[in-house]
Amino acid sequence: MGLVLRSWVANEAGKHCLLVVWLAVSVWLFWRTFSLYSSGPQYYYLHQMLGLGLCLSRGSASVLNLNCSLVLLPMCRSLLTALRGTHQVNSRKARRLLDKSKSFHVVCGVAICVLSVVHVSAHLVNAVRFSVRYSDDFPALNLAQHRGQDPRVLILTTVPGITGVLLVLILFLMFTASSYSIRVCNYEIFWYTHNLFILFYVILMVHVVGGAVKYQTNVEAHPPGCIWANRSKASSDMWSNQEPQGETEEESKVASPIVCREDAHFQPHFPQTWLWVLAPLCLYCVERLYRCIRGSAPVTVVSVIRHPCDVIEVRMLKSGFKAWPGQYILLNCPSVSSFENHAFTLTACPTQNKETFGIHIRVVGDWTECFSHLLFPELEHSEILPMMHQRRYPKLYVDGPFGTPSEEVFNYEVSVCVAGGIGVTPFASILHALLDGCSQYKLRRLYFVWVCRDLQCFYWFAELLCGLHHKLWEENRPDYLNIRLFLTNTQQLQGLTEEKYRPLSSRLVIGRPRWNLLFQEIGRSNQHKKVGVFCCGPKGISRELHKLCNSFSTSGTVFEYNKESFS
Amino acid sequence: MGKIEWAMWANEQALASGLIYLTGGIVGVAGQLKGWEFAAFGIAAGVFVCLLEYPRSKRAKGTSVERTGQYCFTVCVKAFGPLTRNYYVRAFLHAALCVPGGFMLATVLGCVCLGMASLIYLSAAIHGEHWEPIMPKMEPLKHAAQSIKHPPQNPPPRPPPELRRKRTDDLESAAYVNPIPVTANES
Repeated sequence: MGLVLRSWVANEAGKHCLLVVWLAVSVWLFWRTFSLYSSGPQYYYLHQMLGLGLCLSRGSASVLNLNCSLVLLPMCRSLLTALRGTHQVNSRKARRLLDKSKSFHVVCGVAICVLSVVHVSAHLVNAVRFSVRYSDDFPALNLAQHRGQDPRVLILTTVPGITGVLLVLILFLMFTASSYSIRVCNYEIFWYTHNLFILFYVILMVHVVGGAVKYQTNVEAHPPGCIWANRSKASSDMWSNQEPQGETEEESKVASPIVCREDAHFQPHFPQTWLWVLAPLCLYCVERLYRCIRGSAPVTVVSVIRHPCDVIEVRMLKSGFKAWPGQYILLNCPSVSSFENHAFTLTACPTQNKETFGIHIRVVGDWTECFSHLLFPELEHSEILPMMHQRRYPKLYVDGPFGTPSEEVFNYEVSVCVAGGIGVTPFASILHALLDGCSQYKLRRLYFVWVCRDLQCFYWFAELLCGLHHKLWEENRPDYLNIRLFLTNTQQLQGLTEEKYRPLSSRLVIGRPRWNLLFQEIGRSNQHKKVGVFCCGPKGISRELHKLCNSFSTSGTVFEYNKESFS
Repeated sequence: MGKIEWAMWANEQALASGLIYLTGGIVGVAGQLKGWEFAAFGIAAGVFVCLLEYPRSKRAKGTSVERTGQYCFTVCVKAFGPLTRNYYVRAFLHAALCVPGGFMLATVLGCVCLGMASLIYLSAAIHGEHWEPIMPKMEPLKHAAQSIKHPPQNPPPRPPPELRRKRTDDLESAAYVNPIPVTANES
């Protein structure tokens, strides 16, 4: 039981801790603002007019400030890549938190939606109260022009009202287009509506300037509830009908009545939201600008190779491009679509010997189909074309590289890489890096598990795997790389029959992998060690592996789970 | 780039606005605010829109992701035939349902959101989309091959026992070729 807990803590504790801290900060902020508005002397008259709605709306507004500023930070991808790569963040636990940046963005986004509902409902009640409880004593406090003004007119004719309505509409559009099914089916709708966030922030800055909520500036000279020398009470008689309880309490409280020296002065707040939101917004804008400038240099396509099962390998050259194994790039091809950027993991990073970098693209959607037609205009031609006979390749722009969890493979002593189909691409770049030299890394043993549905898919990297296997055998490190290939299509008996792929054919298993047995075997061979598990593949595999990592309890090994995800 | 399926987005919007309409209606009726009759209508309209929009349509190209437990709703919605298949009908229905919400403060938000969903549905209808029910796939039963009913009557042909005995002195001539070629079972 203790070992299972240890596995769970190693895998899940970090992100849950962060979530608890975020929740605690939000609740504290809400509570602090709530109590300030309900009992602060400078809001006494406003609170008497508006009641609970004031405190709820201001409390939710302060937490909205926090979340609107936090939601931008996980999307500064270059910044996160730099944090991850330059080992500024030394602890692996902290780097693993960076893997969850997209989930944190989603959590903040959902919090913004929920709090907006609270904020809007409270302000609708405030609008009604502004109109019904129009104050004759303190005209500066009013938002309505006269008593009983229609609250809908109030909303549509004031700056905070109109901007609030626009903000809700934009938020509604962004929220409904962000569900998982829309992202999977129609990514463009999600992308274009999500880019409305810049309009959202601009309107938000205008929304807080409205000055509907005012505080009293001269609390010492005019203590709330004080009485005038020639009048019985400073507050209006109008409220005596609605709050008879409050009146008697006040009369008994004010035993020795304080005399007002001045009339109450009211002033709207300095828009606090600007302080919260401007810094992350500027950071994000600077980052987008940097990415734009960095991605504006076109790349030269060196070679294009066609592989079986609809996979194309594109080798490119770009001056000043540096990448680590496991990182990915965003490809933009204006001839196919001007605004779409598609993410592809690098399968070969530029090294000192070889400056080209490569990606493997699986042709599965309309963008990739168009792109492949541009690269191979005549389908019957042979696969490889050297630079001399270069065709007119389309212009390409590359944004990146960006970091992923797979960069951590080298930082564990033992790593397990599980790939499903085309998900092998991040691990291919790692194998390429190992070809250049494996002694400079902390990694001592790599288990490479590749599950494919089609036998032809293994040919994508068969040469790479055999080459690395031979090199490690020559260097007398036969236990460094453990290859397991699984073919899930059990219709016919198949095998890799080529002589040069003999190391692979003996490691090919027909049928689905049994993860439990595999993990037990790995645990037995690596007792009392921390093993990094990296998965890039379908949801079914990753879910099963995650569960196994959380609950593994034999042989003292702890499996730490790291998952790649793009959408 | 590529065909965008507007109906999917309109469906998400309509479901969300149905919920907002419903919530606004409940607040209006519970608080006995002015114009609570509109709020009561909002509750009914919100529930109706949620029920209508819960089952997702089948995508024209690609895999469709169902919502949990949507099969019974699919059957009900399918029963109305062309009324629910056509998105023009849905667009005008949502536009008509959202108008009364505009008269009361609590349901104003639901009215606006449902109006937007109605516009997107109109766009989907103009692009020629329509609602298709997602029916569960029936797996065809795997039948055993016919040859299972006719097992072979005779054992496979073998050479006589003298040839079959192990002849370690002359390995080359001890090998024999099967008179009938051995193939995989065609079924």
